[in-house]
Amino acid sequence: MTDEHEIRKNVRKGYAKVAEQGCGCCGPSSSCCGGTTTADEMAGRAGYSTEEMGAVPDGANLGLGCGNPLAHAAIHEGDTVLDLGSGAGFDCFLAARKVGKTGLVIGVDMTPEMLAKARENAKKAGVTNVEFRLGEIEALPVADHSVDLIISNCVINLSPDKARVFREAYRVLKPGGLLMVSDIVLERPLPESVRTSVEAYTSCIAGAIMKDAYLDLIRTANLTDVAILEEVRVPFDQSATDPLFSKIEDAIRSVKVRAVKR
Amino acid sequence: MKRSLLDILCCPVCKGDLALDVLKEDETGIIEGTLTCTRCSVAYPISDGIPDLLPRTESHH
Repeated sequence: MTDEHEIRKNVRKGYAKVAEQGCGCCGPSSSCCGGTTTADEMAGRAGYSTEEMGAVPDGANLGLGCGNPLAHAAIHEGDTVLDLGSGAGFDCFLAARKVGKTGLVIGVDMTPEMLAKARENAKKAGVTNVEFRLGEIEALPVADHSVDLIISNCVINLSPDKARVFREAYRVLKPGGLLMVSDIVLERPLPESVRTSVEAYTSCIAGAIMKDAYLDLIRTANLTDVAILEEVRVPFDQSATDPLFSKIEDAIRSVKVRAVKR
Repeated sequence: MKRSLLDILCCPVCKGDLALDVLKEDETGIIEGTLTCTRCSVAYPISDGIPDLLPRTESHH
């Protein structure tokens, strides 16, 4: 699993399956698709309010997040917001309410099945200030200095080139722009057997890196004021049923990180 | 895809501006068409309202 193209292909395949089945929790691991936890329960644990869950089109929330990147973000009317790995559009639709008619939310995702779902959701709900495009977060199709706020929820850990993701984030942010990321990081290294598992990769585990290394990558990309706003043990329940999770549970953290482009 | 969005889009690889060709458009925006990079000439299709801006060159590395 060192080949970047291979990793992307596997991640795309895994999430295409989630888009079709409409289930998952921080990834298309079969153990949680067979479980009884609903997407709303997952989102509740990740920090979304019932009001927020009710405000988005049905099917937009797949329960795939590991935090709520919008919770502490200062979003203003008229802002341009970019969601890295927008999936079925849950966070995009929430952001769309806050930026209003004069604002714009752009969702980038590399899984066509997810984007088709997101667009369908936007159509159903009559949301006009959200745009989705197929793209890679390591090669953003977005112009320099054009975005006020970047959000991302449990996605960057899946990227085989996280340094590039943060460099791209820096490039597209306006000066003064904000990065708000909820993601999975590690408190201690994972066993080799876990790291090499494709399924663990699409479940946001094998691709996750050490917390300090993650923060360093953000700083190296020239983003400043890097701060962890929230840090919790992963609030997912696979560990009770999945032997893989129980072995590594204490190594995994969900963090919300904020950074600024000066 | 809305026309106004063209300002904020760019080529994912060389970051050049994109030129738009429209095949089908309705009140929600452009449904089918092509975005072509004015710098590196790579064409990106718009299909069912979603521009496919996955990098072409890099995925073959």
